[in-house]
Amino acid sequence: MAKFPRFLTLPVAVVMLISACGGGATPAVPAASGPAASTGTGASQPAGSAAAGGEITVTSLWGGAEQENFQKVLDAFKAKTGITAKYESNRDNYATVLQTKITAGNPPDVAILPGIGFLRRFAKDGSIKKVSDLGIDVAALQPNYAPGILEIGSVDGQLYAIMVKFNSKSTFWYRPAKLSAAGVTPPADWDAFTAALGTLASKGDKPLGLGAKDDWTLTDWFESIYVRQAGPEAYDKLFSKNGDWTDPSVAAAVKSMTDVLNDTNVDGGIKAALGRGFVDGIAQAFSANPKADMYYEGGFVGGIITGQVNKAAKLGTDADWFDFPSINGNKGVTIGGDVLAAFTTKPGVKEFMEYMTTAEAGTVWAGTGAIISPVKSVDVSVYPNDQTKREAAQVANATAVRFDGSDLLPGGGPNLGAELQKAIQGQTVDWASFQAQIKTAWDNE
Amino acid sequence: MALDEPLELSKGAIGGKPPTPPQVEQRNSRVALLFLAPTIALLGIFLVYPTIYTFALSFNRGRRGEFTQWVGFDNYVNLFTKDPNFIDLSKFPPSGALFNNILWLIFYTSIVIFLGLVLAVMASRVRYESIIKGIVFLPMAIAATALAVIWTFVYHPDPTLGLLNAILGIVNIGPISWLGDPGFVNASLIAVGVWGSVGFATVILSAAIKSISSEILEAARVDGANEFQVFRGIILPMVSLPISVLAVTLAVNVIKLFDLVYIMTNGGPGTSSRVIAFTMYQESFPGGLFGKGSAVAIVMLLIMTPIMLYNVRRFRTSSVV
Amino acid sequence: MSGTSDALAGAAVGERPQTLSGRIVRALNRTPIHIALGLVALVWLSPTIGLLVTSFRPRSDIQATGWWEVLTTLRFTTDNYAGVINSQGMLGAFINNIIISVPSTLLPLLICSLAAFAFSWINFPFRDTMFLIVVGLMMVPAQVAFIPVLQLMKPFGFTNNFIGIWLAHTAFALPFGIFLLRNFFITLPRDLIEAARIDGASTLGVFRTIVVPLSVPAIAAYGIFQFLWVWNDLLMALVFVQNAANNPMTRQISTLLSQYGTEWNLLAAAAFLQMLVPVLVFFSLQRYFVQGLLAGSVK
Repeated sequence: MAKFPRFLTLPVAVVMLISACGGGATPAVPAASGPAASTGTGASQPAGSAAAGGEITVTSLWGGAEQENFQKVLDAFKAKTGITAKYESNRDNYATVLQTKITAGNPPDVAILPGIGFLRRFAKDGSIKKVSDLGIDVAALQPNYAPGILEIGSVDGQLYAIMVKFNSKSTFWYRPAKLSAAGVTPPADWDAFTAALGTLASKGDKPLGLGAKDDWTLTDWFESIYVRQAGPEAYDKLFSKNGDWTDPSVAAAVKSMTDVLNDTNVDGGIKAALGRGFVDGIAQAFSANPKADMYYEGGFVGGIITGQVNKAAKLGTDADWFDFPSINGNKGVTIGGDVLAAFTTKPGVKEFMEYMTTAEAGTVWAGTGAIISPVKSVDVSVYPNDQTKREAAQVANATAVRFDGSDLLPGGGPNLGAELQKAIQGQTVDWASFQAQIKTAWDNE
Repeated sequence: MALDEPLELSKGAIGGKPPTPPQVEQRNSRVALLFLAPTIALLGIFLVYPTIYTFALSFNRGRRGEFTQWVGFDNYVNLFTKDPNFIDLSKFPPSGALFNNILWLIFYTSIVIFLGLVLAVMASRVRYESIIKGIVFLPMAIAATALAVIWTFVYHPDPTLGLLNAILGIVNIGPISWLGDPGFVNASLIAVGVWGSVGFATVILSAAIKSISSEILEAARVDGANEFQVFRGIILPMVSLPISVLAVTLAVNVIKLFDLVYIMTNGGPGTSSRVIAFTMYQESFPGGLFGKGSAVAIVMLLIMTPIMLYNVRRFRTSSVV
Repeated sequence: MSGTSDALAGAAVGERPQTLSGRIVRALNRTPIHIALGLVALVWLSPTIGLLVTSFRPRSDIQATGWWEVLTTLRFTTDNYAGVINSQGMLGAFINNIIISVPSTLLPLLICSLAAFAFSWINFPFRDTMFLIVVGLMMVPAQVAFIPVLQLMKPFGFTNNFIGIWLAHTAFALPFGIFLLRNFFITLPRDLIEAARIDGASTLGVFRTIVVPLSVPAIAAYGIFQFLWVWNDLLMALVFVQNAANNPMTRQISTLLSQYGTEWNLLAAAAFLQMLVPVLVFFSLQRYFVQGLLAGSVK
């Protein structure tokens, strides 16, 4: 129950983000190693003052280009504080690596956690330090964020983690030339969208790419539809402990989803899509040799198109995005993001956590074009291209913003993505059984 | 060469007749203990103790993998009544990880042994025998992570990228989503498993076949037996012991099967390709439900026990033990 | 087939028919076998060849067409290999692989040999029962050991150096290794061992001077098997190597990949580099492998 308010406050966050993106408010940055901050309220020993020359480990599941982007932030941190934040990538088996390191007494000092279900588990396990235990004044952080953002990292009313980056998940990527050739304008609502699919399909090509082997692409589809079709309040309830998956709204959203994700619209058909990964799905629409016209996934798709799928592609001309079509007039935006949590109170951890709440860190990171920073005072001009600028503005201007629901579900529960994989094949999903399982998982948390 | 001598010994020992059990050479418990001390210590710490720990944990909530809250039989009840991804008997054919593992057990084990036997017989009749055996053995040298990459280019649903669909495309079939279609995914994974293990079976069975004396085979042929009769009447009975040992080894390994499924499909699409060991891992580490994961592990051990007991009985009857 | 006078045994291959017609008949009889074996070789090799070809193709080509297209468009690059080899920490990871694999192969060899010898040539109470328990432990999946063993290792910090992974690999190798070697050891000639004992050799002496030298093929075969498994392992390394500086290649390779990426070009090249050592080891020692495995597993 204690988690519930964060969903209610989130829409307010959005309003604040608008002003954040517009204005250049000076951030209330707590000075690293400020003496006031180190008089911590935490039960365990508060972090000592700046351990210049010290070293902490930071782990996440990013590798490759994402790691390089994040390393820029770590380098800037080192330049500022003299503390080395050593990055460890654990792309596979992230939960296993974290849990076994904790058991063996080698937790990372700081970890980026993908998903709030994860955060709740490790917080309830007692493995994560409260932000206040580090000697950080939580109240002083509030002005850096729009209301509601910090609450995402709270468990049972206590702040355990800080959201450090997010992406919109309401960006629908398309090939501008292909659509205009077919006489289709980017559809604003669901009816226009289905009409556009029909028009595009009649021109020969199957309009949609889909990489459903990565089942989270399907949960993103479901969430984007559900938040619009059933409304933000129903969305909040569904992805909380009180959620009822047997509610007709769930089946209705799945129906809308399967109305468009089917053999008529998906290039290569549904079964092929289930054997295809996320990036291969993007390639269906944006490779040098594209077959499909559109691909739905988050704002990060742009970077994958130009970085991996087709290095010759130009954003804006070869690939662009429109807002995920509204349903029943609802335009709520879903976002996905990662939170930062401390597993130790080693000297340097506090400084790092504080640094990551600053506009300085947010600006360095946002400048890479890989992420949208939740820090209010990161100026919209730092985003390197029009697509990312619009992504930041989309979230800021949305009437409702909701966190990726599947990331909120408890870790030990049934797999929503797996059920949706069944659904798009035309199998009936046993939502009653799903509900029973997820109830158990929530109760077990 | 000195190496040849033991080879001859080993060949001689395979010829069907049970070897004489070693006689009591020396009754010396203290010396034996010295020889066994490192084994006892390591097995005790790494296998016996964790098994007992897991058994106890299967009756616990098991937060962090530690004993946090006793829950009685809840984990088992949960597993068998509330988790259709583990076993679902409500429809036909049944589904779930347990059922998939039974598919693996039946098809993987029998196909590996059958192909191993056929290949061993065929290879023994050609000059390039060792090359063929080397080729089928090659997959054993490949890491599971690399296997996933290799087979992606075979199973890719897009005929321009996937070899198998490209071939089927020539005769206008498909494309088939080998790993994305629940009707094909288990068969596709089993095929990869078979591809990886036939070399092992071939090598072992080939050696066993070679130990059959050519006089016996000659005599049978002179008596008018055809090749099939020779195979059924002489070769098969002579290699039945190696086959059963192989079958048990394969069966135990297939019940413990994890990496192939984890790396190639992560149990999907949906939950269609989950197996027991995958479920155990999934519930414990990503899921954080170590108690339930432990219950799965205990179920797994219970399934393997009869296979092991059969193995033991087999040893007894062949008077090796 | 039935017309040939060949015994099934491979030895018969050496005898060549003297007449031309004899040779033709013989060749015809073998034709179906040659075709079948050719097919088998094709099926077993083509996925791996596909990987090899892919590893030399430019990334854009990999995403656009299947590897067999190289037959029509010859376009190769070594960029993928350069990308893997020059990446930070890959050389170190290769060395770590060796540091992990060598003791994790030699230790089980030693410990299994000692135990297998005790189970086959020393008499002591409950010998058979203990052996059966050891064999029964083959059933225990490695995953159940992670948490309890890590708890035990915690005070010693074994996961920060290589000791943890050495011990874990060794322990999980024992049941199968002892099973294999013991079944080989009992086939050794009793006379030799008895003679040595009469000559006054100690138990350890018998082990060292008679049993081990006579069992080289079996021990080597088991050694290769264990080496292949350790070299290619990912899961144990994930759990028991907790100092990133000690990561083996399997783990280092995954750091090249982005969260969402499917960088097949890097994966293909890395997979081949990873295979190199096991394949070399396997083909140079294949002889032992084939002969040695046989003995253990057949009995």
